Amino acid sequence: MIGSRREKVASDVVRARALLALMLLAFGVLIVSLYNIQVASTSKYEIALDRQSMRWIRMPGMRGQILDRNGKIFADNRPSYNVAIFLEELRLVKAKVSETFEKLRPVVGYPATAGEKEVNDHVLNLKPLPLMAWRDLDEAALARFAEQCSMFSGVDIQVEAVREYPQGALASHVIGYVGRTNMLHDAQRPFHFYTDEMIGKSGIERRFDDVLRGQAGGRLMRVDVEGFHREDIVVELPKPGSDVQLAIDVTIQQAVEEELQDAVGSAVIVDPRNGDILAMASSPSFDPNIIVPFITTESWNVILQNPDHPLLNRAIQGSYTPGSIVKPIVALAGLENGKLDPGHVVHCPGYFMLGSHKFGCWLTYGHGDMNLANAIQSSCNVYFFTAGLAMGEEYIVHMAHAVGLGRQAGIEIGGERAGLVPDAAWKRERLDESWWDGDTCNLSIGQGPITVTPLQMALVTAAIANGGTLYRPRLVQGIRAPGGQTFSEQPATVANRLDWSDASLGIVRQAMLNTVMSARGTGRNAAVPGVAIAGKTGTAEFGPKALGKKRGWMIAFAPFDEPRYAVAMVLDHAATGGGADVGPRLQRIFGKLFQVTVSEAPPEAGHG
Amino acid sequence: MDRTLMVYFLKRLDWWLLAALLVLVVLGVLFVYSASYRGEGIPVNTDYRKQIVWAILGIGVFLIVALIDYHWLGRCSWLLYGCALLLLLLVLVIGETRSGATRWISLPWFDIQPSEIAKLGTLLALARFLSLSSTDSRRLYVVALAGVIAAVPFFLIFIEPDLGTAAVLIPLTACLLFVAGVPLRILCCLGVLGLLALPLGYQVLDDYQQHRIDVFLNIDSDPLVYGWTKQQSLIAVGSGGLTGKGYLAGTQNVLGFLPRSVADNDFIYSVIAEETGFVGAALVLALYAAILLCAFRAALVSRDKLGRLLSVGVATIIFSHVFVNIAMTIGMMPITGLPLPLVSYGGSFMVVTMCGLGIVQSVYVRRAQR
Repeated sequence: MIGSRREKVASDVVRARALLALMLLAFGVLIVSLYNIQVASTSKYEIALDRQSMRWIRMPGMRGQILDRNGKIFADNRPSYNVAIFLEELRLVKAKVSETFEKLRPVVGYPATAGEKEVNDHVLNLKPLPLMAWRDLDEAALARFAEQCSMFSGVDIQVEAVREYPQGALASHVIGYVGRTNMLHDAQRPFHFYTDEMIGKSGIERRFDDVLRGQAGGRLMRVDVEGFHREDIVVELPKPGSDVQLAIDVTIQQAVEEELQDAVGSAVIVDPRNGDILAMASSPSFDPNIIVPFITTESWNVILQNPDHPLLNRAIQGSYTPGSIVKPIVALAGLENGKLDPGHVVHCPGYFMLGSHKFGCWLTYGHGDMNLANAIQSSCNVYFFTAGLAMGEEYIVHMAHAVGLGRQAGIEIGGERAGLVPDAAWKRERLDESWWDGDTCNLSIGQGPITVTPLQMALVTAAIANGGTLYRPRLVQGIRAPGGQTFSEQPATVANRLDWSDASLGIVRQAMLNTVMSARGTGRNAAVPGVAIAGKTGTAEFGPKALGKKRGWMIAFAPFDEPRYAVAMVLDHAATGGGADVGPRLQRIFGKLFQVTVSEAPPEAGHG
Repeated sequence: MDRTLMVYFLKRLDWWLLAALLVLVVLGVLFVYSASYRGEGIPVNTDYRKQIVWAILGIGVFLIVALIDYHWLGRCSWLLYGCALLLLLLVLVIGETRSGATRWISLPWFDIQPSEIAKLGTLLALARFLSLSSTDSRRLYVVALAGVIAAVPFFLIFIEPDLGTAAVLIPLTACLLFVAGVPLRILCCLGVLGLLALPLGYQVLDDYQQHRIDVFLNIDSDPLVYGWTKQQSLIAVGSGGLTGKGYLAGTQNVLGFLPRSVADNDFIYSVIAEETGFVGAALVLALYAAILLCAFRAALVSRDKLGRLLSVGVATIIFSHVFVNIAMTIGMMPITGLPLPLVSYGGSFMVVTMCGLGIVQSVYVRRAQR
């Protein structure tokens, strides 16, 4: 009995020990599992943790400025004061957001700029970021809000940079404008959130977007389980963009735009010494400040429905029939190829008979006997019909191509029209007709299918002015890195060197000088006392003949001996012609360029 | 109690057990605070203060029970068992229902959870019954009677429902029968029978109870709640790494990914593992192992069977909770509401655990002289 009892106790002890061993073994299993999770696969869980609680937010860099050649500002940034609602502080759900809007409304004084859709999107997708309820407060609202803002928790003023164009509509086609985007995907780093960012939509703003925009920074933040912002982990400050300096001179641009205010047309002024675009204007224009930071649908429709297309940059996007302003090119083609004797005299009876077809001269009673110089000065069509037929259209086409017609000049803002120089091959392909002498006649006086842009004509004028160097247009003069003092100079580039002989060029230049300076020259309306200006007028017919629609053209350069300005100006609807309609405008522009006061004399009627 | 008796008591006290218990209680308060921490400047809820009160109360209970001769407890066991059953019945009548379960009796300044008290009551009753000299544990009827003693509270807790707590009674009964000397062949047969009876019992249940068991057995059946919690707990534990993120720096809890309703009770181990890493998590497990060792040492040196069974029973309750809770935290087991003894926020279980450890201490103090 006693023995069995001892045995029993011993068996109890063995069983208890076995039980303990089992329990400790179970703990051992837990320890091994813990090790596997915490030590062997830490990174797996760390990644899972970061994925659910870390968010990268892209922060746009400050856009660089756009300046004129003297440092006057075309495009700048100004602070915009926004009422920002910090959702994580209010723990707001959608319903409570509108409640807060209601409370803020009387303080600000006008309805929130964030629409219902924007608010809903924000609450759903952008919870960790502050919601900009009112953007760009006016001063009164800002003052009211600043006084009372301590009453609202989770609501604060946030400053945002907004693009501003201090020169208004001036050179707006060149400068362009920016637009909001929130989807700038970054291949290098996938951001979770993108704050509103401005990207260039047209002009320099668009073509130099990479330069101006700078480098976006990032904000790494932790969010909680509901997606609200909790804390910032890393803030990588964005780098501001570079400044872009244009060759444009605000003063010259203003002078040019003043002359286009009441008209539809365009003008370009080029520095013949390097191809700098000193002014580039297109009328009608638009004020980019009404497009940025946001534009109402109505205002946008007003711009879009304007029959004169204010957004169109006529200087590079307008294809115009040139008319008589091609005559210096035709003359150079003949002279350079020995097909035109400058002394040869052609009689102009006021018309020219090509077989049974009658081509008229603009002076219906005829210019009488004309040599080349006289023919340019008086813009005699009959002389050029004869000369054109004598040399053949191929030389004209060749020279037109040599001076850059029929192809894009290569301006930095892009979007150029190439224009058209028709030849036999083009006509066959396009109209399935062969070239005939009538086409040569038209080409010789810049009529027919030929089209050019004002920029092209300004560059040709510059080439005639500087002795035969066709520059590529230089709109951007330099780029300045953020914080830098100096601009890196963009070199002037030559598109083509025309080996015009001094003799031929001399004849054409002298004839162009006479065109403006002589009392009988068609360009006399552009003359400015004390300045030697050379030029050529043009009046191009377009559309159905019966309507008698005319483009008025004039190209000019000055001063004659050491040219600093080469101009091309076109008016879409000329009442009379280049000489009468464009001449006086150029006169006033030259007057300003050379600081000569020009008396307001009524323009003399005349043809170009 | 006179002075010499006090000295005798203190000399024979199991200081290791007391030390392990105190460290765990302190860790518990610290991490209940951490689990309700939301970040600088944000007020922390007052759970940790209540936990301090419960801890002090628990230590008091521990010392008082340690002083009481466990034989006296043995003699009162039927009374205590009866009271526990009464409370279980009472909770079904006047209990407060929270999220579908009726587990609490609301008192003016705190709530009590009778199912926790029932664990001790059942332990006392079983230990007393199995240690009676008239009980021959090799007899089948003894096993059957022990089964009835455990089954009544099991059933009452089961219908609350509180499956987790009810389930703890199964290993408790099994371990007590094992150590009491019930032949292994009977225990094996019981085990097999129990497994076979499971599907049968399942059919008896109501739909919602079946659903609870589905959830209990398979977390995927309620992935939105349980799958999420399991995943977040795993991320918390795993991202803790070797040494953890530092006290109050566990992002899973602070950011609310670990559901706040469970962070300071059922999932407190997840908070500990995230903030102190593998080192801290293993240390906590080591402290529980120390408590188990102390309890089994008390069982082995006990002067009689009652003391042995009581100590093993307390050890089994603590082991079951620790194992199931940690296994759940690291995704090895389905999610059940079993708290971590001495550490999880909660009063009833704290006091009950302290009481149990007090019994172990009482057994150790009155050990056989060798």
